[in-house]
Amino acid sequence: MQIVAVPSGAIAFVSQLTLIKTLKILLITILLAATVVTAPAHPVAFDGAYQLMIGTVGSVQTVEFYRSYSARAAVGLHSMRFDGDEDEYFAGIQHNWLLKRWNLPSAQANVYAGLGAGLAGEVGNGVSPAGIGFFRADYETRRIYTAIDAKWVESADVSRGVFSASAGIAPYEAEFDQLNTWLILQVEHVTGMEDKLDIIPKVRFFKGPYFLELGSTLRGKLVVNFMIHF
Amino acid sequence: MKILSAICLLALSATLAHAAPDRVVTVKTTVNGMVCSFCAQGILAHFKKHPAISNVHVDLTRKLVLLEERKGKAITDEDITAYIKKSGFEPVKVERVKESFDQAKSG
Repeated sequence: MQIVAVPSGAIAFVSQLTLIKTLKILLITILLAATVVTAPAHPVAFDGAYQLMIGTVGSVQTVEFYRSYSARAAVGLHSMRFDGDEDEYFAGIQHNWLLKRWNLPSAQANVYAGLGAGLAGEVGNGVSPAGIGFFRADYETRRIYTAIDAKWVESADVSRGVFSASAGIAPYEAEFDQLNTWLILQVEHVTGMEDKLDIIPKVRFFKGPYFLELGSTLRGKLVVNFMIHF
Repeated sequence: MKILSAICLLALSATLAHAAPDRVVTVKTTVNGMVCSFCAQGILAHFKKHPAISNVHVDLTRKLVLLEERKGKAITDEDITAYIKKSGFEPVKVERVKESFDQAKSG
């Protein structure tokens, strides 16, 4: 048997390769789970809640999983995939804050923000450290819904912004235990994509802890958003 | 002597009954901001876990959270306020009513 001396630099190099490979596998695993799937934004739920959000809007797929550790803050995982000329990915951890809530007798308005860190890259071109941030404001009564969202992902190779504005009406006032239905029109822009602006008519349903949105961009791309609290 | 004993027993039972009221109490809480049933799920989740509560009902139209207390148990106003706030909403008024839970539910 021949014993070969391996320089410590080579071991460090191999360890680094293994780490990158492991991170790649982790990233791909998270994103594979997201293949069916920008998720419906409900960044903070009630104290103690877990929330899972899965969505596909045009060329952007998202999976988010958070634990609200108070009624004003949540922490969890966020992954995104952008289907462009080069498919790009982000996966990381994120912290969300409910910055302000107005609880009015017949309406509620909220301002949220979030920051996160993780890895992003193009398919087949490795990954690099990345940051993510978002801002959201909404106003809702039992018949009217409005929201604006902005989200940024930045890394050495990936730079994407997702901006959207939504307005909707409920055709009827549903009670707590009834099926809620909303008709919503969303306008979305993703920086760096071919389509400059997506106009998205969609229908939103929710009952109990389950939430589902179905729609399509005017260019025919599917929109599906699912959310659950538990 | 028998009459005296009977009077004493009656007085004792009346005293005991007063010390531990054994009836179901309905609590009506008015809450601001409850416009969406999906967002108000926390109210149900939190109150269902409270040992003094046997029933919870959320009425979005009347902006009410109705609670039914278990026999011989009571929830404090402080707990009600804390649970509503933990759910993300703003309690406005807490009142104990004589109606049964079902009567209060049907308005």
